[in-house]
Amino acid sequence: MNDHDDHYHHIEPWGPHDWGHGAPHNSFSPFFLSLGVAVFLFAFAQAWEYGTYNPGHIPAILVGLGIIGFSMFIWWRQDISFDGSYEPLSTGTPFRKIEIRKVSVWVFLMSEMMVFTSLFSTYMRYRLGISNCNTVFERGMFDPVTNPTGWQEGVAVTCFEPASHLIASSWWHLAPGAINTFALIISSFTVVQALRYAKMPDLDHDVRTKKVFRYLASTWALAIIFLTLKMVEWFVGFYVPEIHLGPIHIHEHDIISLVNEGYTINADHYQHHSYVDHDTGAHMVADIQVSASLFYVTTGTHGAHVAGGIIGLSYMTYKAWKGLYTPLNAVSIEYFGLYWHFVDLIWVLVFPFFYLY
Amino acid sequence: MAHYKILGRDPYWMNFYGLMLLTLIEVGAVGLDLSAFAESNGWTEKELTFGILWGIGIPKFIMIAAIFMHLYGDADSKILTLTALFPAFFIIVMVLFIGLTHPDAVTSLPDWCRPGNYGL
Repeated sequence: MNDHDDHYHHIEPWGPHDWGHGAPHNSFSPFFLSLGVAVFLFAFAQAWEYGTYNPGHIPAILVGLGIIGFSMFIWWRQDISFDGSYEPLSTGTPFRKIEIRKVSVWVFLMSEMMVFTSLFSTYMRYRLGISNCNTVFERGMFDPVTNPTGWQEGVAVTCFEPASHLIASSWWHLAPGAINTFALIISSFTVVQALRYAKMPDLDHDVRTKKVFRYLASTWALAIIFLTLKMVEWFVGFYVPEIHLGPIHIHEHDIISLVNEGYTINADHYQHHSYVDHDTGAHMVADIQVSASLFYVTTGTHGAHVAGGIIGLSYMTYKAWKGLYTPLNAVSIEYFGLYWHFVDLIWVLVFPFFYLY
Repeated sequence: MAHYKILGRDPYWMNFYGLMLLTLIEVGAVGLDLSAFAESNGWTEKELTFGILWGIGIPKFIMIAAIFMHLYGDADSKILTLTALFPAFFIIVMVLFIGLTHPDAVTSLPDWCRPGNYGL
């Protein structure tokens, strides 16, 4: 390969590249994709402003989505022709001889880590800064002599009721989040297995195709399960059957969705059903202004990453089904795998502190 | 891919088993009633649960990063681990100055460390 080859084989920024002759990474797609995301997010934020729905921003939302779709199409055309014969290596310190794209993925992931750290920090601030509703409730009812810090019937107290308190209150509430945790761990494993078989040099092509396809398709299915259960948990709820197995008798109420339980993103005054003093029948009215906003923003940001992963997985599963993965171009699975493990990594922190504690 | 074994077995399978086991313990620690054990050791159940969740969350985090993300055992693991640790400084800054700021700083801290009083 030399400069002459590069020019002779027509550098084509709109793809597909002629990878076999040392295609350069001169794709416009990332820039247009970023532009599309910016237009989409700006219009999306404007469409729902201070609780008012503004349908006039829908065209801009569609334009943003259109630019995203177009960019991804171009990217797809460029990647589908990638045969792995030209994987550029870094030449400078400190990443000398390491694949440039791999380093880029890591730098990208670290920027993502900063996004989630800001969300975690904010959550910590609320958890530490505002009294927990349970703690306030357990102080008992107000009495000027014996309990001056107690709560009073009908007088709102400012306290924090994280969604995790409801979720961790029973096995059934916990079930969607717990199943999702296992789903993500299994999907991390299946994507590693897909990479392993894609990279095996001596494997028969048909066997490789079958194995890689199955593992990537499993990862895709697990990601779909994850988002489906999240929707069930947030918006739908589910029926809990009566269970009678020998001495075990389980009869619980159906699980109501978090939104129907009152955990909304803009919750203002909220009276939780569990804050009832059994001795007196009095209700503690909790003034909760930040109850679930951070929960939804954080788990929603994570869910958006899963949704983005599903888009990538859909394409990769298709590519695997077509038998286009070889040991040379399996790095695509490796780089996607880094992203997917990162999504799992974030969930390892989100699950205990937003769901369990 | 990994060129090493864990307890003589494939590292990805072992990591997978380990993560599943730790997650089971995590869910169990929240679902089971640990109040008697906590009180016998002088803790509240919340404190015990919090300790267990941290104690399990950190190894899970390391297991995924080290084995699944190949930050251990590959030729480029060292420099990529340093790359991954690079934002640690900013993370610590954010956790300290956002997450652990004093909520009543304006009213309850001594005069000398309230806004507007730095000159003493």
